[in-house]
Amino acid sequence: MLLAIDVGNTHTVFGLYDGDRLQHHWRLASDRARTVDEYGVLLRLLFAGVGQPAIDAIAVSSVVPPTTQVIDAWCRSYLAVAPLVVGPGVRTGMPILYDDPQQVGSDRVANAVAAYERTRDATIVVDCGTATKLEYITRKGEYIGGVIAPGLGIAGDALFERAARLYRVELVKPKQVLARNTAHAVQSGLIYGYVSLVDGLVARMQREIRGPARVIATGGYASLLAPESDTIEEVDEFLTLEGLRLIYARNSGQ
Amino acid sequence: MSAAVLLAIDVSNTQTVLGVYEGKTLRQHWRLQTHTGRTADEYGVLVGSLLAGAGNPAIGGIAVSSSVPPMTQVIDTLCRTYIGRTPLFVGPGIRTGMPILYDKPQEVSADRIVNAIAAYERTRAATIIVDFSTATIFDYVSEKGEYVGGVIAPGLGIASDALFERAAKLYRVELVKPKHVIGRNTVHAIQSGLIYGYVALVDGLVTRIQKENKVRARVIATGGFAPLLAPESETIEEVDEFLTLDGLRLIYERNAQD
Repeated sequence: MLLAIDVGNTHTVFGLYDGDRLQHHWRLASDRARTVDEYGVLLRLLFAGVGQPAIDAIAVSSVVPPTTQVIDAWCRSYLAVAPLVVGPGVRTGMPILYDDPQQVGSDRVANAVAAYERTRDATIVVDCGTATKLEYITRKGEYIGGVIAPGLGIAGDALFERAARLYRVELVKPKQVLARNTAHAVQSGLIYGYVSLVDGLVARMQREIRGPARVIATGGYASLLAPESDTIEEVDEFLTLEGLRLIYARNSGQ
Repeated sequence: MSAAVLLAIDVSNTQTVLGVYEGKTLRQHWRLQTHTGRTADEYGVLVGSLLAGAGNPAIGGIAVSSSVPPMTQVIDTLCRTYIGRTPLFVGPGIRTGMPILYDKPQEVSADRIVNAIAAYERTRAATIIVDFSTATIFDYVSEKGEYVGGVIAPGLGIASDALFERAAKLYRVELVKPKHVIGRNTVHAIQSGLIYGYVALVDGLVTRIQKENKVRARVIATGGFAPLLAPESETIEEVDEFLTLDGLRLIYERNAQD
């Protein structure tokens, strides 16, 4: 089985694929101080819970360089598998038309590959994670570039830490946009504010490329924002894992 | 400046702005860091030497809006000790001339009321105020001049700081508008996300507030990032950097009529 690992700034997601089917998935906090042996214990327990799967392949995307080393060492010592770490030199099957292709984060490439595989059309990917990242892929399947904005979670944290009179609120949609108390005002600003940020950026991207594009969202906040969005057509929580599976297949000649 | 002047002080989470009004005219203005560890004596030295640089105008009154509770006492002491005036703090019990339709009117921070008053004085129409400070704050005043409510979103500055602190591979960029929305390198991608992303956040929220209240309200922006974002916005009609100071002047006048 293939283990796909997506190391993000906040969470690390593990997905276990049997062929092209995601059988199991787990989410751990991306703790940069966590050691190889701690990963060893945690994952051994998680794998034991699903009947000790036979893992013979691993694909990794990481946007946290120190953690990449730890995950690589864990794969080799605990699973005896050399992982495919997506980066320069790895075949993605997608032309990267960025100024410096090596600069594009591997999560962005994995998302683009998975989204285009699904649409085979001009596509915008919206990843609502630690950062809010938008990617544009042409109808021919070329990665062009994108947009990086602060994510909903970190921007909300900053608001509660830095504004003296504000306090943390539950992240739910208030009944109205215009609020008559502070808790609703903050909920409205975070949810309708971020939906506006995404919809506005997608609209500006579509205007710039002079044509429509399919819009697929992923990331921790996608399912919260998508129902209010005018532009997001589809949510796939596991888009990055799916992209890792596709990139692995393209590199192993399958 | 021979006649007595009004000193207006707007204490917000990141910066404190001081303005000297001669009648309705803003003669001088200064911007200081809001530092809750700084004492009344330290502010006294700063403000004293700024006023000296302006020829030591005779200060007849002081109006203060503070959205930082620990600073309120410091500013109060500063005014009494170094200027010899008792400041008027905008808050419960102060006449604003504007009905506040919030669930708990005392929950609306002073700067928001002050902005609303200054904006409505200018438009005399349904108005949305967008204040780009530590938070991005939206306030809506009805056509009849009632403060109805608002929206609070993270500010551009603190949200971008969070991005650089929390995302391992991203780095601080200069806050300028990139040529294209779709960035082909990381610097342009972040500049696009910050500038076009925030413009989209503002335009989207303003549009939603207008739709929900079935009005075509006037839109006035203020705060540090207003001049950067307003040119790209489809909804902001006007920028007034000194809206809060102007509101403090109006409230002072309304309370001095007693």
